[in-house]
Amino acid sequence: MKGLHICILLAVSALVLFFADGLSPYWMHVAIIAMYYGILAASWSLLAGYVGLFSLSHMAFASIGAYTSQLLINWYGIPIPLSMVAGIAMCCFVGGLIGWVCLRMSGPYLAIFTLGFSEIVRIAIATEDQVTAGMAGLHTDLLFPSAATRLPYFYTAFALLAVSLVLMGLLVRSRWGLFLRAIREDEQAAGASGVAVARFRILAFAIASGFAGLAGGFYAHYIPIITPSMGDLDEMAKLLVMAVIGGMELLPTAVGGAFFVEFLLEKLRDLADGGGGVHWQVPVLGIDIELHNFDQWRLPIFGVLLLLTMRFARNGLITPFWLHFMRLGEARVSPPPAVRDLPQKDPGT
Amino acid sequence: MSWDYFFVQAANGAVIGVIYALIAVGVTLIFSILKIVNFAHGDLYMLGGYCAYFVIELLGFPPLAAMAVAMAALFLGAIILERLMLTPLYSDATERKDEYGLIVTFGLAYFLRNSAVIAFGPFPLKPPSFIPGVTRIGNLILTNDRLVAAGIGILLILGLLYFMQRTIWGQALDAVSQSRDSAAIVGINPRRFNSLAFGIGAALAAGAGALIAPTYSLAPDMGVAANIHAYVIVILGGMGSTLGSIIAGLMLGEAETLFTAFFPDPTRALAYQNAFGVLMLMIFLVFRPQGLFGRRHLRME
Repeated sequence: MKGLHICILLAVSALVLFFADGLSPYWMHVAIIAMYYGILAASWSLLAGYVGLFSLSHMAFASIGAYTSQLLINWYGIPIPLSMVAGIAMCCFVGGLIGWVCLRMSGPYLAIFTLGFSEIVRIAIATEDQVTAGMAGLHTDLLFPSAATRLPYFYTAFALLAVSLVLMGLLVRSRWGLFLRAIREDEQAAGASGVAVARFRILAFAIASGFAGLAGGFYAHYIPIITPSMGDLDEMAKLLVMAVIGGMELLPTAVGGAFFVEFLLEKLRDLADGGGGVHWQVPVLGIDIELHNFDQWRLPIFGVLLLLTMRFARNGLITPFWLHFMRLGEARVSPPPAVRDLPQKDPGT
Repeated sequence: MSWDYFFVQAANGAVIGVIYALIAVGVTLIFSILKIVNFAHGDLYMLGGYCAYFVIELLGFPPLAAMAVAMAALFLGAIILERLMLTPLYSDATERKDEYGLIVTFGLAYFLRNSAVIAFGPFPLKPPSFIPGVTRIGNLILTNDRLVAAGIGILLILGLLYFMQRTIWGQALDAVSQSRDSAAIVGINPRRFNSLAFGIGAALAAGAGALIAPTYSLAPDMGVAANIHAYVIVILGGMGSTLGSIIAGLMLGEAETLFTAFFPDPTRALAYQNAFGVLMLMIFLVFRPQGLFGRRHLRME
């Protein structure tokens, strides 16, 4: 049965949607935030994993999407879905512009350039406080102001994640996806084979930024306040940790990484709250290290996990499982016979 | 707006410029040998500052000796890190080494910054002065700490220049930066020099952190701004050019300080100080990626 994995995915989604009502509000919130990061991780992996454009401004685009959406509502009073679309369009435009400007850059130069861009966005949002309310944060309108539970947000986040994944999946499976991967492997060879490298690099930037804007727009209308720190480097590092731990070269594994990291972060917080403070003493220097907030160690733990993943399992921790899952139900292809098993030719003849 | 104010600001700019140059020189050195941009460099600078602070506070060392201890500790620590984390960069089995270097150093920065918040606390710490008091030169008033920081910083930079240009190890480093394979043919072990370059870069960053700590206090997130300054400088000065980094470091220190001092709206000036440098970085990357003094063979396309 060839499409078994698709059937399983659909069945699991249906079960999740059906039983979502039973989640506690806290874990539902965690799930919604995980799906927000899932969209971001997938679109970042589209850019960094498929096209090889290692951008550090992805969270900046999310905050551009969020601020654009809310500011348009404040200024013109347009409905929320329309303003979210406007935020996406803004992100596509700015993303395409950034893609165009850094056409000649690659590797570390691109990373530094996009890092600079994200800092400028963050500083500008924090400083222009008459417009954006600065560090105090901009109050936003909710998507479902009258909703008593988080359930509508859960369904919306789920739908957005599913639609984003399907769209991006169609893109990477199409002929264009092939071009994008060709650019990653060797830009010059791709160009020589007839791929319009410049056009596809700009396109990839615009599309990935658009999805970041979508995630940002959703976040803005789910959490009633947005701050400039939404697009800062710590958030970007968190996104990178998610995508790399999951596996940045496939969309579903990046999403899986986002879920894994977000749930583990919250689970560790739970454990820490129950455990109370920890007291360490370094005997040589006589330093007391008091760990009253054990949950702070969550972040360094993920730093270490990222380093270990990069060092020993560069394809990501979820990728092997996913690849195995994708082969479910397919007839097992017997491996081709090894060379030494082939009948040897008689050297004399 | 008097001339005295201008001179005081210019002197402060020169001091901070020397510190920036010390950090950026390490980034450039690591880039030219290992071919990666070290995203954790600012965090090594932060660690150096804290290391010196704890050596002073707990072991009772004088500040300058503590700086030397911090530099030695970070030198060794960085070599261990490089051995543990960066060796895949040198094997041909690794695909897309740029990406590997980026992710690993970015992850290292994330780890170091968040660990520092926990280990050292989020509140700023201030080590004792090198020499308390101020020095007056005419109408120019400078704290002794700044003078010491600038003086030692210049000595460290001169030492590095001497090392790079007049010693056999420095020449070997230069050879590895030009061609790893040719260097190996004439008997230089490139792997050893990878470690050496990473260690020296980290030691210089640690020295910068220890020097600036009495003037600006230590904070766990001080590495973020330092990192960005270092990138602005290496892009301005040209990747891989030590002299370029020094000149660009001084230029950036001056430009920022004077920009802040003379910007019409003082509350925004401080906020836009960083943005100003970053904007220069982006403009240079677009129009002159090899920087002012870049060496062509090191330009990475």
